[in-house]
Amino acid sequence: MALPVLICDDSSFARKQMKRALPDDWDIELTFASNGVEGVEAIRQGKGEVVFLDLTMPELDGYGVLEMIRKEDLPAMVIVVSGDIQPDAQQRVKKLGAMAFVKKPIDKAKTVEILTEFGILSES
Amino acid sequence: MRAQAMTMSLTEDQRDCYQEITNVAMGQAADRLARLLDVYVILPIPKVNMISASELHMALADTATSDNVSAVCQGFIGSGIAGEALLVFNDASFSDLAQIMNYKGPLDQHGELELLMDVSSVLIGACIHGIGDQIEVSFNQGHPVVLGQHCQVDDLVKSGNHQWSQTLAIEIHYEIENLNISCDLLLLFTEDSVAKINQQVDYLLD
Repeated sequence: MALPVLICDDSSFARKQMKRALPDDWDIELTFASNGVEGVEAIRQGKGEVVFLDLTMPELDGYGVLEMIRKEDLPAMVIVVSGDIQPDAQQRVKKLGAMAFVKKPIDKAKTVEILTEFGILSES
Repeated sequence: MRAQAMTMSLTEDQRDCYQEITNVAMGQAADRLARLLDVYVILPIPKVNMISASELHMALADTATSDNVSAVCQGFIGSGIAGEALLVFNDASFSDLAQIMNYKGPLDQHGELELLMDVSSVLIGACIHGIGDQIEVSFNQGHPVVLGQHCQVDDLVKSGNHQWSQTLAIEIHYEIENLNISCDLLLLFTEDSVAKINQQVDYLLD
């Protein structure tokens, strides 16, 4: 069964860039969200088992999304993809339960490395 | 005249792309400052606009308050794209800045100048290179020039010799968490560069 993957970023360019960085031939059902509120809603509907999450967004930011996931105990493995790469930002998202933190701009090699590290993508 | 104004506008996709590129570059600059000073830099969403010379005054007045400011500018050029980075510091920032930078000397005009130059070299350098890396342009930077200390924004605008009618402006506001430190970084591209930099951005959007 295809894995539900969500890309949550307010920038359409960033969503496109993230989509390009996904591994080739990865069997997924891809959904896009352009702010945190839409993102949480998609996760509630089971569309985000794996989430690529931006931090700086209108409506509800990435920190807010992580808090909601924790509060509602939603089943999502979150990889934060952020332009804000300060040590403090990295610590804050890890504390809020994010699985990994990747700095923008992201590329395919990095995505594959992380997905493999967490066993989401099996080495074939 | 009207035709010219119409050709010099950004599409929504271009604006979004500039914002995202700037967001990444300002994040890199903030990270360097955060590690240097052991602070957290608050990063808002950058503003990207085509502005006229008369609107430059508004852009600056919008960012800086009625307080006195000090400012540095530094030119950059590469692959047919040229511009100026303008860093405007609120003068009220200097006492907190001296403290976190562990500056021991007297906080006189000279001391403030030293702090201003240190911070501007980090912020301007990292930001320009961050943008250049993403659009695949290697920018060379000129020497930083102090535009003024303890002056009003009006004086800054008057001191500039603006030979353009409309240009691309990127505004970034930096604030440091829990401290009274704030500054604005304004990137102004020359009018001649706009077509070329738009082309680089369109290439990314493709």
